[in-house]
Amino acid sequence: MSKSKAGLLQGTLDMLILKALSLGALHGYGIGQRIAQISDDTLKIEEGSLYPGLYRLERRGWIESEWDVSDNNQRAKFYKLTRSGRKQLIIEEQNWERLAGATMKALRAS
Amino acid sequence: MSRIKATIQFLHAWQHPEQNAAEVEEELRFHIAKRTVDNIESGMTPNAAELAARESFGDFHRIKTECCDISRDLPFDFNLLRMGIYIAIAVLAGVTALWAVNMPHHNFAGVLWQLVTIAILARALVMGRRKKRTQDY
Repeated sequence: MSKSKAGLLQGTLDMLILKALSLGALHGYGIGQRIAQISDDTLKIEEGSLYPGLYRLERRGWIESEWDVSDNNQRAKFYKLTRSGRKQLIIEEQNWERLAGATMKALRAS
Repeated sequence: MSRIKATIQFLHAWQHPEQNAAEVEEELRFHIAKRTVDNIESGMTPNAAELAARESFGDFHRIKTECCDISRDLPFDFNLLRMGIYIAIAVLAGVTALWAVNMPHHNFAGVLWQLVTIAILARALVMGRRKKRTQDY
């Protein structure tokens, strides 16, 4: 079965980054890979656009970064979720569920 | 703790913009290198793999500039900072007024301080009212 790639709604990227990092620390490339993996390769992310999103989330204190060595012995910047980021993810998930529920209700209305 | 870290990083980005830009560039280049390796593993030639990696990444310089700009953004809401400054001024004025009121009245310095405090508070009140009126318009 072929899957059509879905573009991301404004603001969804932040939630997906937080979700990807809730499963463990990752570098930028790994975050993109994990989002593709958990969305069953359905969500299409412009690879470069991930980084301004990461920097913004770090400014807000929801994620923090640290330079470390990657699996192929290269220096890489790893991101991890902070406590406030974990709380924010719960809020974002609740908002998303409410929005998705309301949209679905509107679409099913006859 | 993460707020403190973000503030330290913000100050570092302001103090050492070249080093900050170099770190952003290193991070973005790491991404392209990883994508290139994955492309080669999926059967592309090295040249085609690197080209495809650069294309899928997007405009490298625009993204780098955007990341550097975000690094130099204040890591907190500026309105909150301004509100904090106003509160600090109000507390300072209150403490000064209390101090001036409790000073002995019979010496010249005490009277002078009381007059200065009253003048400052009156001026602050007039400025505050003027600003509120301008905002109301």
